[in-house]
Amino acid sequence: MEFEQLYKSYWQKVFRLCMGYVNDYDIAQDMAQETFIIVWQKLHTFRNEASIGTWIFRIASNNCLRQIDKEKRFPKSELPMHITEEKHYSLEPQILFLYKCVAELPEIDRIIISLELEDVKQAEIANIVGLSEANTRVKIHRIKEKLTQKFKENGQ
Amino acid sequence: MDNNIDFKDLWKQQAVSPPNIKELLSKLKYFKRVSLRKLVITNVLLIATSAFIIFIWYFYQPEFISTKIGIILTISAMLMYLFVYNKLVGFYKTVDRTQSNSEYLQKLISIKTKQHFLQSTMLSLYFILLGSGLCLYMYEYTSRMTIFWGIFTYVVMLGWIGFTWFYLRPKEIKKEQARVNGLIAKFEAVNKQLSVNE
Repeated sequence: MEFEQLYKSYWQKVFRLCMGYVNDYDIAQDMAQETFIIVWQKLHTFRNEASIGTWIFRIASNNCLRQIDKEKRFPKSELPMHITEEKHYSLEPQILFLYKCVAELPEIDRIIISLELEDVKQAEIANIVGLSEANTRVKIHRIKEKLTQKFKENGQ
Repeated sequence: MDNNIDFKDLWKQQAVSPPNIKELLSKLKYFKRVSLRKLVITNVLLIATSAFIIFIWYFYQPEFISTKIGIILTISAMLMYLFVYNKLVGFYKTVDRTQSNSEYLQKLISIKTKQHFLQSTMLSLYFILLGSGLCLYMYEYTSRMTIFWGIFTYVVMLGWIGFTWFYLRPKEIKKEQARVNGLIAKFEAVNKQLSVNE
């Protein structure tokens, strides 16, 4: 599998997953890059047992979870606050609100819903996260309910 | 529940073009360098110190057995530190990042738990070995001094060892424990999200 090819076809998806996890453009960009660095390093170990998509999403979501460790080491307050604000806010408020809501969910739910919204099959989501398919289905349903409710409360 | 909001469509409108692949590769190099640097520096520093001590042994030929035991204890303290330190780095290297989230979390928790144990036990052992090594080592040289200076030397040295043992060591252990415990708690909380289906 050609790395460049993967990079092109999966960058957006991985970025959105990270963005749903942290809701911070710059951190998400960094996390997506880290993911592809790992993909680059590990690509030779990929054995076709899973689809390449599942494989990449596993790395990406594990990297998100690893973020907990890093947050502790570099508390957000220590990061420079200025530069971040401008570029991405041409987006509609509804989109911003969706990402904000997702990032407020419990960690595993963030990953599950991001993958669902990315059109990853539920069986594959179960495989990435390590839950049963039935559980995954239930979770997705509940998360969607929660999101719908938040949107309604917010009058979106 | 009927939801009339198309989340998928909203989700995908967040589009961003991938940064240049060259930028990614240059970052990769930086990444490797930084993570390797600390490991190399620690290893080189401690091995060089040990080599220096061995050199002293060889060069000055201490007569007392206590001096030799002292040297051995000091060196073994440093080697033990290196061993544990390298082992911890190795733990992280061997984590398979392509496992499912739940397996990955389990692995992280087990590593952190090991780290927790190693850090406190090892730090105490390190101080004990280093302290007793130093005391034994100094004996030969102080025995050649007058009683006053001999006692003076030991008082200063024991004062320093006491300071590190009673002040620095607990402080260091506490700081690390708090960090690692916090992490373990957080990882476990996330892991729980996988097991309960509230």
